[in-house]
Amino acid sequence: MNTTTQLPSDRLPDTRVLPAVWKLLFMRLRITFNGFRHAKLRRKILMIFVWLMLLGLAVFIASMSWLSLGVMRSPEFVRYVGVDVKPILALIPALTLSILFVGTLLTSFGVLLQALYLSGDMDFLLTTPVPIRAVFIAKLLQAVLPNFALISLFGLPLLFGLGISSSYNFLYYPLVVIVMIVLALAAAGFSSLLVMLVVRVVPPRRAVEILGFIGAIIGISCSQLGNVANSFGKAINISGTRLAGILLISNTPWLPLNWAGQGLVALGEGHWLTSILLLSATLGFAIITFWFALVTAEGWYYSGWAGMQVVSHKKTVRSARPVNVNTSNFSFGLARLLPKPVLAIVQKDFLTLRRDLRNLSQLISPLILGVIYTLSILRSGGQVPAGQGDAPTWFMESFRIVLAYSSVGMSLFVGWMILSRLAGMGFSQEGRNYWMLKVSPIRVGHLLMAKFLVAYLPALGLGFMFLTVISVVQKLSLLAFIYSLIAIIMCLAGMTGILLAFGVVGANFTWDDPRKINAGMLGCLGQILTILCLPISFGLFIAPLGLAQFFNFPMSYGYLIGLIAGSSIAAGFTFIPLQLVRKRTERLDEA
Amino acid sequence: MNGTLIETRNLVKRYGDKVAVNNISFDVLGGEVFGFLGPNGAGKTTSIKMIVGLLQPTSGSIKVAGYDVQTQSMLAKASTGYVPDTPNLYAKLTGSELLRFVGDLYSMDRGQVAHRIDELLRMFDLSAVGDDTVDSYSHGMQQKASLAAALMHDPKVLILDEPTVGLDPKSARLIKDILRQLADRGAAVMLSTHILEIAERMCDRIGIINKGQLIAVGTMDELRTLDKTGQASLEDIFLSLTGGAEEAEIAEVLK
Repeated sequence: MNTTTQLPSDRLPDTRVLPAVWKLLFMRLRITFNGFRHAKLRRKILMIFVWLMLLGLAVFIASMSWLSLGVMRSPEFVRYVGVDVKPILALIPALTLSILFVGTLLTSFGVLLQALYLSGDMDFLLTTPVPIRAVFIAKLLQAVLPNFALISLFGLPLLFGLGISSSYNFLYYPLVVIVMIVLALAAAGFSSLLVMLVVRVVPPRRAVEILGFIGAIIGISCSQLGNVANSFGKAINISGTRLAGILLISNTPWLPLNWAGQGLVALGEGHWLTSILLLSATLGFAIITFWFALVTAEGWYYSGWAGMQVVSHKKTVRSARPVNVNTSNFSFGLARLLPKPVLAIVQKDFLTLRRDLRNLSQLISPLILGVIYTLSILRSGGQVPAGQGDAPTWFMESFRIVLAYSSVGMSLFVGWMILSRLAGMGFSQEGRNYWMLKVSPIRVGHLLMAKFLVAYLPALGLGFMFLTVISVVQKLSLLAFIYSLIAIIMCLAGMTGILLAFGVVGANFTWDDPRKINAGMLGCLGQILTILCLPISFGLFIAPLGLAQFFNFPMSYGYLIGLIAGSSIAAGFTFIPLQLVRKRTERLDEA
Repeated sequence: MNGTLIETRNLVKRYGDKVAVNNISFDVLGGEVFGFLGPNGAGKTTSIKMIVGLLQPTSGSIKVAGYDVQTQSMLAKASTGYVPDTPNLYAKLTGSELLRFVGDLYSMDRGQVAHRIDELLRMFDLSAVGDDTVDSYSHGMQQKASLAAALMHDPKVLILDEPTVGLDPKSARLIKDILRQLADRGAAVMLSTHILEIAERMCDRIGIINKGQLIAVGTMDELRTLDKTGQASLEDIFLSLTGGAEEAEIAEVLK
């Protein structure tokens, strides 16, 4: 028998979408505000400072664009450059809005992936009497708002500055804001569909790993673009006029992304018919896209289509290649030397580092940097400058020796970067799995040895690789190569000892995202200390060579003294910090 | 029954002013399954963590398999297997790699490790996914992998924190059978659980902890003597010892 229970009128759910969206967004705002309210005073001050800086930056961009665009429009400037800049300036809205659309599309992908699949609140929200549409609109807005604010920080002052300097119609200003909002929403809508399509093929957590890896590669590549551009700049010579020509061709009305920019310029200049046509096409296209994406995403999610993997579970999560302990390259030589628990931890760490793309993305940066700087050395020919020939011979000879060895410092720098991650976070990377080591019968010495090797061996391998390349380029003698290799072996060991010790003191086992492993200041302190210690230990290796030359002693004396002094201090850096943290290691992860 | 394999004496754990475990003493003998019961926040997990060497006691002593957990920690740990309440395992290792790793941590012989991995994966119905990474396992499969890891070195003492949470009835039954077999072979099994039916049916002796203090220890018959009727179920005994009247009041409000 079916019975319907009548809900009291005061408990009937509110099925209106917009109030529900507001409730959900207000909850998000409250969470953000609570985060600020409960933050430490230092963090609060920092956050206020950052906001003020951003506000200042926006004002600066607006005034700079107003001024510079005004100058560019002046007849003197046009006469000076000999190019009509008006069509080029009219490109600015189209370019800015295209960047906004593509930028929102790309950046909201990661946020939506988290918000729809990994935040864990979707099931809760969808079981409450809140319209499903409201949940999706709130999620889309949540994904758009931070990135929209960031892009607007640069885009809005620029577009307003253009409007002021060009004396555009007053309708231009509100329309700029409306167009930006609508385009950002359309981009987020597209992004939500993309997320669901990707999750059909790749599990969400794996997708986040891949996204993090790609993001890291792009980030480090972009940050180094300046160096590459400087090195190769001479080879690419594009004149300003040619660049302007290319930009003008790209502003074709055949690209829907250009409609918004062209419509805004037409509106500003009072070409009503063109502006109405282009802006209504843009707004209509964007609103339809957003609505279509919203309805489709809802349907896909609610029907379960978006959560169902196209490829079966077994195939999606590809079986990892089993590791044969007896034949793997690494264990081949070391297996007989190392205690079993040490070897087990080393193997386990290498496997997990290799398989988790989020870890790999942190390790790839030193490699990219190393390759870029090695390329720079290669392009410069790797030769030590000959000098003017005015300095005394003894000075030039000492200087030449020191300079030749100092380029070996590149290998140490690359090693240092990889050590900062592997040694500094050696213990923290265990995360919530540390209990497995803690309950096992492992001696503290063995645990430290294992973590030392996990950090030291890749750094040494990389350092050796770079040293070999640099030695070939700089035509170092065999003796110099062997001496440099010993210096690298010892100096890297010293840095590993220091960074690992700081890693023990600042160990953090409560992270969920590997990018948040390094939670405290101690990791930075370790890095600063190693930056100070590295020149000392490496300097003690090479300074005696210059001094031997200076005092006209046999070079073998220089090598011997350098070896003793450099190795002693590096050995001290290796063992003393680790000895100091032995007791602490025993008590790690005990609240 | 064999000799005492877990011995705690005047165990105390303080976090600042808060006393999480207050002067508890109990023994677990070889060959018995010991149930450790208590309401949420009573100090069960803290006590267990001190026994397995995850937490240092503020005072008191613990011996596992005759070894002092503080002064002979390596020997005590080598005799213990531990299954935590949340199966945090290395997500990027495969099931068989995880077990091999544990075997190596306990310095087991290579041949023995391979044999044991095969045996445990089969026993826990994980053979088909033995080469898949742990992050592709369901919660129940991770729980079983965690238990397999704890059994890898055939421990004399097995300590489990809420072992049946998230398991399907078949797996829960398998675990109960395994624990019984282990005890029958002379091992000491200590488990904490909220499911009183499991404790009543599986455990030879039961300890009840409340607000950090051990308020009752004994067999089911011995615990029944605490009740006037002598016929009470474990649920009744548990509620009367740990403040069941409060729960009854809450239930009354919800009516």
